[in-house]
Amino acid sequence: MHELGIAASILERVQQESAQRNGARAMKVGVRIGELSGVDPEALSFGFEALVKDTPLEGLALEIDYRKRMQRCSKCSREYESSMLFTVCPECGSLETACIAGDELDLMFIELEDPACV
Amino acid sequence: MRVAVEEKVLNENQRLALELRQRFHDHNVFCLNLISAPGSGKTSLLERTLEAMVRDAKVAVLTGDIQTENDARRLAGAGFPVKQITTGGTCHLDAKMITKALADWDLDKIEILFIENVGNLVCPSSYDLGEHAKVVLLSVTEGEDKPLKYPGIFLKSELCVINKTELLPYVPFDLAAARENARKVHPGIDIVETSCTARRGLDEWLAWIYRRQQKAIGAPAL
Repeated sequence: MHELGIAASILERVQQESAQRNGARAMKVGVRIGELSGVDPEALSFGFEALVKDTPLEGLALEIDYRKRMQRCSKCSREYESSMLFTVCPECGSLETACIAGDELDLMFIELEDPACV
Repeated sequence: MRVAVEEKVLNENQRLALELRQRFHDHNVFCLNLISAPGSGKTSLLERTLEAMVRDAKVAVLTGDIQTENDARRLAGAGFPVKQITTGGTCHLDAKMITKALADWDLDKIEILFIENVGNLVCPSSYDLGEHAKVVLLSVTEGEDKPLKYPGIFLKSELCVINKTELLPYVPFDLAAARENARKVHPGIDIVETSCTARRGLDEWLAWIYRRQQKAIGAPAL
């Protein structure tokens, strides 16, 4: 259960961005999470909600782009979305494949309120 | 207004981990990060490992736990530098804790640094500590399906140590299935089988360490 700490890291970055933009209110933050990252999306959302509640960030939405494991075959170079546990190449049947994606834990974007028109 | 950020959520950890990796490189320190469930035998394996080292070997251990200095006490018996990191509740070690723990150690006096992570197969897998390789332990009193249940850490580890093999006659652990499961998740993973009480497989484990150390220390800069 380290999702609370990860939620806190995301919020710190959001606050930093908001401060750099004259305190513009943050509306939404997007993260990319791979299934191999060791981060559970539900636990992250839960921790995130708990941390923003009753703070100036309350209402900030968390968008999660959940990614599957991707493999590349060392024999035929095919790249494919793989199940977590069955990594054999669907093209040539080789077992020699390498994981190329699926362990992401990235901050993609922060959406902030547009500055008021003067 | 949408601001594209595109950076690691654990950016600060990543920055510190890269700093550690550079320091390890500059001082020729080979670093392994040992990860397992609680009770798989990380400390026992390190006890046997330190015993096997020659007296003037430059080996050191950082050992993480939520509470108590028990592991550091156990490991200090071999006479090498050992430091306990008590996380006070945190379920993993992060790069900041390692940086802090190393602050008063002279890295030129260390050639192999073992980091014993907090017993946990999930959270430690998200935190780079600047190590050269992660090693995952699995003991035969656990299920042979552990690699399937916790694929993340088996994928990120270069070596899987199957420990407590002296208990194989007494437990329904299917060794062949365990090996197959680890390779299903991570086809390139190395596997060694050890028994810390019957002292079997330790030569193979040490040979793996020295091979990997050679590969790391001969390696070009980042």
